[in-house]
Amino acid sequence: MSETTATTTAAPMFEIENLHANIEDKEILKGVNLTIRKGEIHAMMGPNGSGKSTLAYVLAGHPSYEVTEGVIRFNGEDILEMAPDERARKGVFLAFQYPTVIPGVSMANFLRMAVTSVRNARADAAAADGGEAKRMAPREFRRLMREKMALLKMDDSFATRYLNEGFSGGEKKRAEILQMALLEPSMAILDETDSGLDIDALRVVSEGVNALAGPEMGILLITHYQRLLDHIKPDRVHIMMDGRIVQSAGPELALELEAHGYEGLRARFAPDLSPVVAAERA
Amino acid sequence: MEATLTDTPRSTLIGFSRDAVEELSRRKAEPDWVLRARLAAWDLYESMPMPVRTDEEWRRTDLRGLKLDRQIPFAGLERRGVGLADLLPAGEGGLDPDVHRAGAVVQRDAATVHAEVDPALAAQGVVFADLDTAVREHPELVRRFFMTEAVPVGFGKLEALHAAFWQGGTFLYVPKGVRVELPFRAFAVATEPGASLFAHTLVVLEEGAEAFVVDAYRSETQERQAFTSGVVELILRRDAKLRYVQVQEWGRHVWSFLTERAVLADDATLNSLHVSLGSKFAKNSIGAHLRGENSLAEMLGIFFADGDQFMDHHTWQLHESPFATSDLEFKGALKGKARSVYSGMIKVEEGAQKTDAYQQNRNLVLSPTARADSIPNLEIAANDVRCTHGATVSQVEEEHLFYLQARGIERSEAQKLIVEGFFRPVIDRIPVAEIQDFLQAAIAHKVGI
Ligand SMILES: Nc1ncnc2c1ncn2[C@@H]1O[C@H](COP(=O)(O)OP(=O)(O)OP(=O)(O)O)[C@@H](O)[C@H]1O
Ligand SMILES: [Mg+2]
Repeated sequence: MSETTATTTAAPMFEIENLHANIEDKEILKGVNLTIRKGEIHAMMGPNGSGKSTLAYVLAGHPSYEVTEGVIRFNGEDILEMAPDERARKGVFLAFQYPTVIPGVSMANFLRMAVTSVRNARADAAAADGGEAKRMAPREFRRLMREKMALLKMDDSFATRYLNEGFSGGEKKRAEILQMALLEPSMAILDETDSGLDIDALRVVSEGVNALAGPEMGILLITHYQRLLDHIKPDRVHIMMDGRIVQSAGPELALELEAHGYEGLRARFAPDLSPVVAAERA
Repeated sequence: MEATLTDTPRSTLIGFSRDAVEELSRRKAEPDWVLRARLAAWDLYESMPMPVRTDEEWRRTDLRGLKLDRQIPFAGLERRGVGLADLLPAGEGGLDPDVHRAGAVVQRDAATVHAEVDPALAAQGVVFADLDTAVREHPELVRRFFMTEAVPVGFGKLEALHAAFWQGGTFLYVPKGVRVELPFRAFAVATEPGASLFAHTLVVLEEGAEAFVVDAYRSETQERQAFTSGVVELILRRDAKLRYVQVQEWGRHVWSFLTERAVLADDATLNSLHVSLGSKFAKNSIGAHLRGENSLAEMLGIFFADGDQFMDHHTWQLHESPFATSDLEFKGALKGKARSVYSGMIKVEEGAQKTDAYQQNRNLVLSPTARADSIPNLEIAANDVRCTHGATVSQVEEEHLFYLQARGIERSEAQKLIVEGFFRPVIDRIPVAEIQDFLQAAIAHKVGI
């Protein structure tokens, strides 16, 4: 338990307070509170449509969502007004639940641009703090890309393909983790990165995540399944329901859910969404 | 190139007239048959009505801004020896004139300032020269092919005007069986304010001949309006293969008209690419007559309009024989208050069975004030053919921008990547690294304007 005390005293990365967000005037997030500290791994579970991806998008700065109330601080800084690219350059990474296909944009080209902008921003920030500015040379980028692709057991041919075009579901997820490995974010939000992965791929991807995880990094894992949590051990597990976190506990919560499902929680925290409650009322 | 014309007093001619035709021919010291051909074309021009907006091809074209009667009919004709580097400074973002080539002709306004052709090719009977030189040295070839077969003088009013006033221009003739891999490069650079330009490209490939031609048009933007009416004639005999690339980068003061027709005999193959980036107004009519069996025309186009540019492309896939294939893909992007019209016709004549024709036009609209219209047409008189066409007008998707931005790429850079990606499938179809690089840079530049 001494470990737990150590982590709770680490500096907070994400501080989310009373976050409300709308899409097309419909409220999806209804007051989310969550703090993720350096070195912590948080799992977010919850039924379909409860707002998990919405939270991920809002943290990454998706322009379609309107934050109506609350704050998001990242490393102590209010990021609500920041464009998504600025957040990414500050170290926030979102692995998409449904990665976007962008025709005609080659993977290699895209990765080079992403890596140079993120890493150069980081190098410049380090230099501003009196450190050394280490901008990345093209040769180094190619070496790094090959190395990370090998780590994720991805074929070289991926680099020449168009961004996610014709990628299988599992390949897309692997490509998301490749991007994470290249960008080395300090805060990663992985939205159902495990869905669509076969058993071997799940292991490879989990190893990729674990290789990055460490005392300086925060991770938010959105998932429906315990099996991912067998590979990546969370410090905390949260359950989102109807736009709120209704329960937070240690890793045992995920096992409990696996055994009992959401119905009990739903009846307690979101009775309007519960078919059982509806039946009783009728 | 030696000076063949001495300095003449500056022309004070304004507007197009019979006198101007005579003056032009006199100054160029042309043979009598050329003058007679010009005058016949002038008479034809005068007898033909100006296109009006009730004509289908001109329905979406607003010519009111063009003041034909105030144009200077031709530019100074002085030939001066100017280095390629002076005229086409490297790093200007254009095609590099110094790359490997089979020949080059550089014209400033109507005057040729540089001309060369690989002597080994000349020894094989290849002719690559400015049109004036070709008229002097190969009159029989010019008389036979110039505006007779691909774009006849009577094609239309503007084509007749072109036949009366053509200046500059290049001529390529490749004899039977001669295959040339390196490109023939032609550069037309306009500098004289207000002077009209009538660039002409005449390419004749005899049976089994192969060639690669790159035409580049360029001028700096000027105050005074200028008019240009170009004609491109591509004649491919049996089994000939031609790759033709045209890059239009006129200044924003130019009203540009272009008529291009290719004529393909049996088994001939044409791969063409048209790139429209410049001018205030551009109206391009680009067509291929698939006259021979098994002929194949691949017609690609890229246009990118910004500001108040207007670009209008009409394409013609004219299937006149059975078993021919045409494959057309034109892609356009628009910014600012730009407007574009694409109108494509696949025409399959009776008897042209087993035609395989494909036509696709996609447009990417980058600003709410830009507008693209796309009008595909089919006219099919044969019953055993395969014709497909598609047209789309779309915007950059916010989800695409967000995905790239979420990876740290700035919005403007993300936009560049997406637009470049939009054109990429067409660029990938041109297996020439220099042209691919040029296009990539030109597109990035346009997005950034
Ligand atoms: N563009 C939109 N317009 C209207 N409603 C939307 C839009 N996008 C999302 N929603 C709604 O917001 C709610 C939350 O969706 P979200 O994707 O965050 O759920 P989730 O918890 O990630 O679900 P899943 O487990 O299925 O991935 C859903 O009811 C969804 O239908
Ligand atoms: Mg989701």
